[in-house]
Amino acid sequence: MDLFLLMARHGYALTFSLLLAEAVGLPFPAAIALVAAGAAVAAHGLWGPYVLLVAVTALLLGDTVQFWLGRYMGWLLLGFLCRVSINPETCILRSAESFYKRGKVTLIIAKFIPGVNTMAAPLAGSMKMRFWQFLRLDFLGALVYASTYLAIGFLSRDFLKAVLRGFHVAGRAMEAVIISALVVYAIYRIVQYRKYRMYRVVPRVQVQELAARLASEDAAKVLIVDVRSHGYYDSGAARIKGSIRIEPNNLEEELKHLSKDKDIYLYCT
Amino acid sequence: MLREKGFHTFVIVGGLTAWRKAGEPVESVPENDLVKLPTFS
Repeated sequence: MDLFLLMARHGYALTFSLLLAEAVGLPFPAAIALVAAGAAVAAHGLWGPYVLLVAVTALLLGDTVQFWLGRYMGWLLLGFLCRVSINPETCILRSAESFYKRGKVTLIIAKFIPGVNTMAAPLAGSMKMRFWQFLRLDFLGALVYASTYLAIGFLSRDFLKAVLRGFHVAGRAMEAVIISALVVYAIYRIVQYRKYRMYRVVPRVQVQELAARLASEDAAKVLIVDVRSHGYYDSGAARIKGSIRIEPNNLEEELKHLSKDKDIYLYCT
Repeated sequence: MLREKGFHTFVIVGGLTAWRKAGEPVESVPENDLVKLPTFS
């Protein structure tokens, strides 16, 4: 179906849903939805101020959810949002430091920066920003973001129509691209599966078995190692008594301090 | 990687959750090991 037709028929609901989805961290093209909505406004299919209101409301709602999740889930949520990063812990700390250094006004421009847009609200929650202050800055950010893309759509309606016509012509090429992407994804999953199977060769021990060994004279040969990469955010966090922590993302360096004379028992959450 | 480097390594089935469920002793993570985010407050 034509994007403009879709926007003219279900524009408000579509704009609200896509923006809310993006604000809660899902990979949806919210900016494209806003541009299309702007074009629909230019074609008198939608009423501009109402679209803006719907867009800002959706963004604020999603960001507020993220803010409170960030406040109460801390590392867990941030780790999930950073999961595509090679080093999730570094991703979290770098984002936090960058946010802290640039100040709270980062919230106003965050939505324009891929990656930062998803992290900004939960980081603000995790970093104990006051809620009303967050809401004020986030409202400004949402307003600037939605207005900008709506204006782009409004001003470039004819150009967008031409681009969409181009997409229809290039439909077959797109199908080929999608099929290729699916094949690549399937290969990636197979590689991951094989890698996972390889990890199964590491011997696994039950808690009771280890506890019995710790209670025996053999205990001195045991080293229990906590390999959680995050989860240390909340004060009062616990670990197995007598265990030490090594950072899995810094394993090369950590290995220098480990003894080969001991049996190493690894655990995470 | 640990095994590749010659370390004799095992994995505890169920991790910390299973350890706790079995009633085995835990301790607080030392302050030095905590990695905290900067805060605005």
